Amino acid sequence: MDRDLLRQSLNYHGPSLLSLLRSEQQDNPHFRSLLGSAAEPARGPPPQQPAPGRKEKRIDNIEIQKFISKKADLLFALSWKSDVPATSEVNEDNEDPYAVMPPLEQFMEIPSMDRRELFFRDIERGDIVIGRISSIREFGFFMVLICLGSGIMRDISHLEITALCPLRDVPSHSNHGDPLSYYQTGDIIRAGIKDIDRYHEKLAVSLYSSSLPPHLSGIKLGVISSEELPLYYRRSVELNSNSLESYESIMQSSLGFANPGVVEFLLGKLGIDEANPPSLMRGLQSKNFSEDDFASALRKKQSASWALKCVKVGVDYFKVGRHVDAMNEYNKALEIDKQNVEALVARGALYATKGSLNKAIEDFELALENCPTHRNARKYLCQTLVERGGQLEEEEKFLNAESYYKKALDLDETFKDAEDALQKLHKYMQKSLELREKQAEKEEKQKTKKIETSAEKLRKLLKEEKRLKKKRRKSTSSSSSVSSGDESVSSSSSSSSSGHKRHKKHKRNRSESSRSSKRHSAKASSNQIDQDRKDEYFPVPANTSASFLNQRQEVEKLLEKQDRVPYQKKQVKEKDRCPLSSSSLEIPDDFGGRSEDSRDFYNSYKTQAGSSKTEKPYKYERHFSSRRDSSDSFSRNPEDKLKSCGYRKCEKDAEGRKEHYRKWEPGSMRYSTSPAGSDHSSKSVEKHKKCSYSGSRDFSRHEQRCQLSKNHREYEREYNYEEDIKTEVSERDEVNSKEHSESVVKKNLPQNLLNIFNQIAAFEKEKGNKQKN
Amino acid sequence: MEAISQDSCGGGDEAPGAEGWPAPEARVHFRVTRFIMEAGVKLGMQSIPIATACAIYHKFFCEINLNAYDPYLVAMSSLYLAGKVEEQHLRTRDIINVSNRYFHPGSEPLELDSRFWVIRDSIVQCELLVLRVLRFQVSFQHPHKYLLHYLISLKNWLNRYSWQRTPISITAWALLRDSYHGGLCLRFRAQHIAVAVLHLALQVYGVEVPAEAEAEKPWWQVFSDDLTKPIIDNIVSDLIQIYTMDTEIP
Repeated sequence: MDRDLLRQSLNYHGPSLLSLLRSEQQDNPHFRSLLGSAAEPARGPPPQQPAPGRKEKRIDNIEIQKFISKKADLLFALSWKSDVPATSEVNEDNEDPYAVMPPLEQFMEIPSMDRRELFFRDIERGDIVIGRISSIREFGFFMVLICLGSGIMRDISHLEITALCPLRDVPSHSNHGDPLSYYQTGDIIRAGIKDIDRYHEKLAVSLYSSSLPPHLSGIKLGVISSEELPLYYRRSVELNSNSLESYESIMQSSLGFANPGVVEFLLGKLGIDEANPPSLMRGLQSKNFSEDDFASALRKKQSASWALKCVKVGVDYFKVGRHVDAMNEYNKALEIDKQNVEALVARGALYATKGSLNKAIEDFELALENCPTHRNARKYLCQTLVERGGQLEEEEKFLNAESYYKKALDLDETFKDAEDALQKLHKYMQKSLELREKQAEKEEKQKTKKIETSAEKLRKLLKEEKRLKKKRRKSTSSSSSVSSGDESVSSSSSSSSSGHKRHKKHKRNRSESSRSSKRHSAKASSNQIDQDRKDEYFPVPANTSASFLNQRQEVEKLLEKQDRVPYQKKQVKEKDRCPLSSSSLEIPDDFGGRSEDSRDFYNSYKTQAGSSKTEKPYKYERHFSSRRDSSDSFSRNPEDKLKSCGYRKCEKDAEGRKEHYRKWEPGSMRYSTSPAGSDHSSKSVEKHKKCSYSGSRDFSRHEQRCQLSKNHREYEREYNYEEDIKTEVSERDEVNSKEHSESVVKKNLPQNLLNIFNQIAAFEKEKGNKQKN
Repeated sequence: MEAISQDSCGGGDEAPGAEGWPAPEARVHFRVTRFIMEAGVKLGMQSIPIATACAIYHKFFCEINLNAYDPYLVAMSSLYLAGKVEEQHLRTRDIINVSNRYFHPGSEPLELDSRFWVIRDSIVQCELLVLRVLRFQVSFQHPHKYLLHYLISLKNWLNRYSWQRTPISITAWALLRDSYHGGLCLRFRAQHIAVAVLHLALQVYGVEVPAEAEAEKPWWQVFSDDLTKPIIDNIVSDLIQIYTMDTEIP
């Protein structure tokens, strides 16, 4: 019971209320003890002077007193309070979320005397006042208050209330001079009330924000403009100019009154809680309402039972074997109740029986998330995880399988199947690793034998190569840098296979240098060189078979259409793919497959080119055959490499790889069409640039891949590269072509020739670059 | 509609008898509006939509004899319609759930079977009936907005400590909400009801508006020019009358 409040009410209504209360609330223990003490002060103070307004309503007053006495337990309860904060608010509702009205006393036309008295009664330290400077003295300035900035909204503009702002409360705006010199008479000042002498009606204000309560300390004190005056004051001034306007008309015309959120806003301002609406009806005390009777709780309950019903129907379908119907029911259940655990488990079980193990696992996991103690969900999840692990094992994804088994064991440590499967897997992995090592050892032995013979061959071939290059150099006046590079290549390549690692390093450096030089040349290569190249090399295709020419043109047409535009893009794509290829198992595989194919068509090329009579094709035939030889000789190399480099993915079965080979065979033909090659043969300088650029780009990619995957086929290619960059370029183009459209299949024969031209061009190009450099 | 009327209007003993029409009828309306308010709170409705629902209900039975339709069904439709009018849309399913629970405390929510859909259909049909009876005039000027503005104005004129100590705003708000148990909202202007409610709240706590005696115009006159003291007294006594029913009906 709020004693003060009850006393206040009793003082107002007199002893008649007291007697009524006694009779009405005699059952209430709080009141019985209270009324005894409350009766004393009610008797004590002299009877109030009844106001003239109150005399008239004496009659219904009894009614009201009866009402009070009946509802006293509610009305004077301590909980019957608005939860509005006790802090004073700023009167700057310039955004007008509600109808800001002129002060009530202005409408009531209360005499100034009373207003002044009430102002000095109600003003508090820390309130913000706004006034005009009336005079400036050496000890401070006086201001006449016009309105209030916080706390209460009163009409004080005509009350002539002055306040002193002493010099010590005026912050100085500069280091020198009088702080008061900043202010002028007539300035509008916002200040905080510092001191109140209610008896003498004197006010002292301060311009320091320390005079304000903490929650208002952000407000700027000092000179303000007339636009910054509170809205209520501006409305009050408007009312003064047109005193005929009524409270209602001002309110109705205010924008804030039409605000659809005005009720909500004002309820918040007044501290009324809409979630627990107040009522003086005993049956409507919202604190007596059960939480279970609220709509949201009922809906949840209803949805859950509805969903469960659907699940039951679904389970019945499932038992009969109508899996589609069962799935529909489960989905319906989950639509009704997204978190329904039973539906999730049932659907998961259905997925599992249908073989969609991943989906099943998802459902079970979600069910366990919602209900961690669900036994069936846990059991099913374990079983499904193990099953999925088994699947992965068959797919050779041992590590994934292992993680699934482990997950199952995490869920249920006693789950025997998972443990068995895991142990079996570990054993199997160990075994296959050993097997692989043995195999690799064997192959290494074989390889070392072959390498010596092939080294001999290579040396011969390289000599031939050098001779050819020298010839060409005469015509294009090449620099010495290429020859020196060639020499270094030849010398290194002729060294024994034990120097593999050295090779690689060497090669890497070279490729980098050549790449950079090529980039330079892409821009710098002069027309002269291009001209030369054309003169020298383009008769060559003319000497070859006519069928090739026709085909070449077809290829050109096709490629012009399809590949020119996406060409640049694809380079970028390939670059992006690089990091992927290092982790993926398939990339090395398809490389292997491809190099086999390329060897095939080298052979075919040999037979065809052999029939042509010109010298140059012959030269390339030689070159290619040599290359093939070398690749043959190195085909055993990789297994050795695998071991020495500790290639992590070696667990993979040889069988599995073969399968991949087979898979790749049908698509092998398309590798043979190279857009870059055809581009080049179309004599366009620009295209040529592109081509060489792509080549150099591919080098880097290739390098990267090689380092990462250490695949044997790759390695073979590297070796080729060391022999002759020209070959490399053509091969890179083939790599490119892999990405290109599959519609250009079956053009491998002329493509070989195109590749050769491409190689020549690249070589020429490089020579040109070297010259420049 | 038949199903629900038999089902929900179980309190047939409260049906108006042959003699003494007004009092028993008022009691029925009191009970049904009590149901509207309780359901409104449980449906999470705000004060104004609840007020609209009650106003729709009262207006409907101003036009129609109580015997003609099941008042609870009309109440449910009023709730549904008020949600639409005041842009706080409700779902019929929630209304049915809450009502069912109100009529059968502690019962499980209804199954969503054909019976449920019959009830739902009857609510929707009844909504159309209500709309036609009210000639589609279902928007009301409620006193709530006025009352809140009056409270703000009064708050600034009163001493802030006395305002803080006295729960005037919460009492006035409660009185206003409770006033919808009767048809006050249809008989008086919104401003008048707001002032009367405020007046009663001030009286209850013995709070006097400062300098009222010296003022040219009493505070209540400021808020509404066409308001007179007798109107306030009438509203207040009607309001108190409503509360006496609260004690009479358990």
